Amino acid sequence: MTESPLVDTTAPPPGADGAVPVARARPSLILGEHGLCPGCGEPVALRLLLEVLQELDLVTRAIGVVGHGCYGSFVTIMDVDVLQCLHGRAPSCATGIKRVRPDVAVFTLQGDGDMVNEGLQEVLHTAARSENVTCILLNNGVFGDTGGQQTATTVVGQRTKTSLEGRDPAVHGYPIPIADLVASLPGVAYVARGAVSTPGEVGRTKRLLRTAFERQLEGAGFGLVEILTMCPTGWFVPASSGPGYLAESMVATYALGELSLRGAR
Amino acid sequence: MTELQLLDGCAAITEAALAAGCRFFAGYPMSPFTGLLESMSRRMTQAGGTCVNAESEIEGINMALGASAAGARAATGSCGQGIALMQEAIAEMALNQTPMVVFNMARNQQDYFQCTRGGGWGDYRTLTLAPKDVPEAAEHTQLLFWLAERHRMPVILYGDPVLAQTQVGVRIEPRDHGPLPPRDWVLDGSQGGTGHSRQVWTWAMGKVTDPGPGPDGQWRAMAEKFDRIAASEQRSEAYRTEDADTIVVAFGTAALFVAYVVDELRAEGMRVGLFRPVTLWPFPAAALAEVTRTASRVLVFELNAGQMLDDVRQHVHDRETVGFIGGVSIHESGLTFGPLLDAAPIRERIVSAIDGQAPASRPAGRGGAR
Amino acid sequence: MEQGGVMEREVILSGIGGQGIQLLSKSLALAATMAGRYAMLAADYGGEMRGGPSQASVVIGDAPLRSLPILPSAGAAVLMHHKFSAFALERLRPDGLLVLNTSIVPAGSVGHPGRVAGFPVTALARDLGAPQSAGFVMLGAYVGLTGVVEPEALEQAMRRLLPPYRAQYGDANARAIEAGLTTARDQVTAS
Repeated sequence: MTESPLVDTTAPPPGADGAVPVARARPSLILGEHGLCPGCGEPVALRLLLEVLQELDLVTRAIGVVGHGCYGSFVTIMDVDVLQCLHGRAPSCATGIKRVRPDVAVFTLQGDGDMVNEGLQEVLHTAARSENVTCILLNNGVFGDTGGQQTATTVVGQRTKTSLEGRDPAVHGYPIPIADLVASLPGVAYVARGAVSTPGEVGRTKRLLRTAFERQLEGAGFGLVEILTMCPTGWFVPASSGPGYLAESMVATYALGELSLRGAR
Repeated sequence: MTELQLLDGCAAITEAALAAGCRFFAGYPMSPFTGLLESMSRRMTQAGGTCVNAESEIEGINMALGASAAGARAATGSCGQGIALMQEAIAEMALNQTPMVVFNMARNQQDYFQCTRGGGWGDYRTLTLAPKDVPEAAEHTQLLFWLAERHRMPVILYGDPVLAQTQVGVRIEPRDHGPLPPRDWVLDGSQGGTGHSRQVWTWAMGKVTDPGPGPDGQWRAMAEKFDRIAASEQRSEAYRTEDADTIVVAFGTAALFVAYVVDELRAEGMRVGLFRPVTLWPFPAAALAEVTRTASRVLVFELNAGQMLDDVRQHVHDRETVGFIGGVSIHESGLTFGPLLDAAPIRERIVSAIDGQAPASRPAGRGGAR
Repeated sequence: MEQGGVMEREVILSGIGGQGIQLLSKSLALAATMAGRYAMLAADYGGEMRGGPSQASVVIGDAPLRSLPILPSAGAAVLMHHKFSAFALERLRPDGLLVLNTSIVPAGSVGHPGRVAGFPVTALARDLGAPQSAGFVMLGAYVGLTGVVEPEALEQAMRRLLPPYRAQYGDANARAIEAGLTTARDQVTAS
């Protein structure tokens, strides 16, 4: 058996010393530094979420339900009322919160391992019940927090610690396009997929998030925004290669944009 | 005085829960809990609350968790098999301090271990009340909503098919159990942007600008809290034990039957009494030790292979006096208790133990040291 | 039976399913409750829609009851059918009252040292033009013999318990109760 040429991402990639900071300002709702890997897409998604909450004037009427993953640590730096919940269960907790506080904007923040592995039935049932909450999926196709194992959204060919030769359908089956599944359910109000791999995508994704929250405020029903995020550590690529890898591997499987919905709402 | 109503346990618990201000319920059908879900479904909307027929037990308890964290009086429930699925969420609520009332309408054996040991992780406890009949179940229900909020923890009402399905004339009087601590932990969404936004988390790290105790501090504090609760919340009933030579220990519906037999045997001149734990956790250790001080025989009657037996042996005045007269007894349908839950066989076992005809046996399935 | 100084009256009703026995038993228990008395109803039936066991224990008293949901013994048993009657007969006290539906259970077929009263309630109900109300004829007869609840309360409870899609049987059931009462009174007078 050939050895897999795993890339060591425990040290900064060469050339990092000469890197030029692009932006310094941090939104006031982010209270401190995140501790995630260089090149991780999740902090970008967090920033977009918090900017949208500010722009829609929801900061003092918002409750987040955060699942388990690298993004779990965001509960210590996001200045929003939050419930950190059990792996996969965020949509159910969000249901309970929204039912008793219908005037508060309720959202979940979950990774693909959380939502599509452990929590597959929770998100599908919550969507089918058309609960008026917004679920946000940070999809990097890997269990980052536990070291890089395969998830239900790992794309074919992707190398992970539990699919070292790359995901092979004959052995590992196929990834689950959760946004497409959710979009097929009657009563779902909004489903969209964005990415944070390029400046253009970042801008578009922010608009998707904003639309999703606007729909919630209208009482339209369940909303899901899937955000493809880079995980160079989990992908065994250098930090700067993350966006390119995302474009090559994930976008082919997970088409970007607003998904057309089955139900009229 | 409120009117007398003919209610089964499920309906009585529903009315008591509403009287206690419960406004969110979620659960999954499984007999004999199903009746409670159905009556909540009917009555909760009438009371302006929400009842969700969840698609799974795990979803149900997590919905209730969210509702409680957001400040509603919330509850869920199931029977033993479903409670098994809910263990992670129960431990979670014990460690992140979320009040919750869990109605365990057990099916065909007395699942003492599940209520008092649980299958969750960490040093957590669940305060558990085991009513003996429908009127007591209604009282316990109101008390449990108060206790859950007073101590910010999950609490359990332990029931069974007899309790769930027997209809009894009962009055549901609203009870006030006293002042409660301020609800400054509730997630109402209003604290965003203040630098002190709220966080419900088992690890309790807080925000970087407003740190919390962290997992070590939090879990130590929880362990200390449960120790305090263990000391202050023990409840039990001693029935005709003052001069008893033989004390039978039983809980829940089984205790109701034992009390009946005690009356019968007393009328025949035998000095028998009943010690009934009302809280399964905290186990009423001090009261048991006191009540059994002068008994020559302590007989444990429970409908299982011997679970509460462990706690009795640990806390009784003299271990050598303890015998087991219970057992597994399941109806052929699998859905309720079997023939052992009946006055005649219970009487026979007590009398045999007293007469020394059949030694109080080592229960089946108890491998290992005595 | 006296429990702690207070009289409690037990009856076990037994028959085959549908849900007739359950409706009868609940009507009896509810009638007592509506009159401010304490009642307990413990029902037991199988999963079959028709033809399976159906039984209920009812206890009525003037203070919170001490009787057990599984009665160690009962002061009365009412048998609509002979099948699945073993529990009721075994728990009936030797000096208790046994009431039989003699349209189905022949009067002499059940040995019992105490009082036995037989009423052909299936035939009576048919003659009334209310064949589905045989159980209420029996309940009327039992109440006529024992006076355990007021007949008016029984009719009120029965009507309250009928679901909307069965409300049309209310009048027939009421006539059946009346017929049972009359039959019991006639039998008592004659004996």
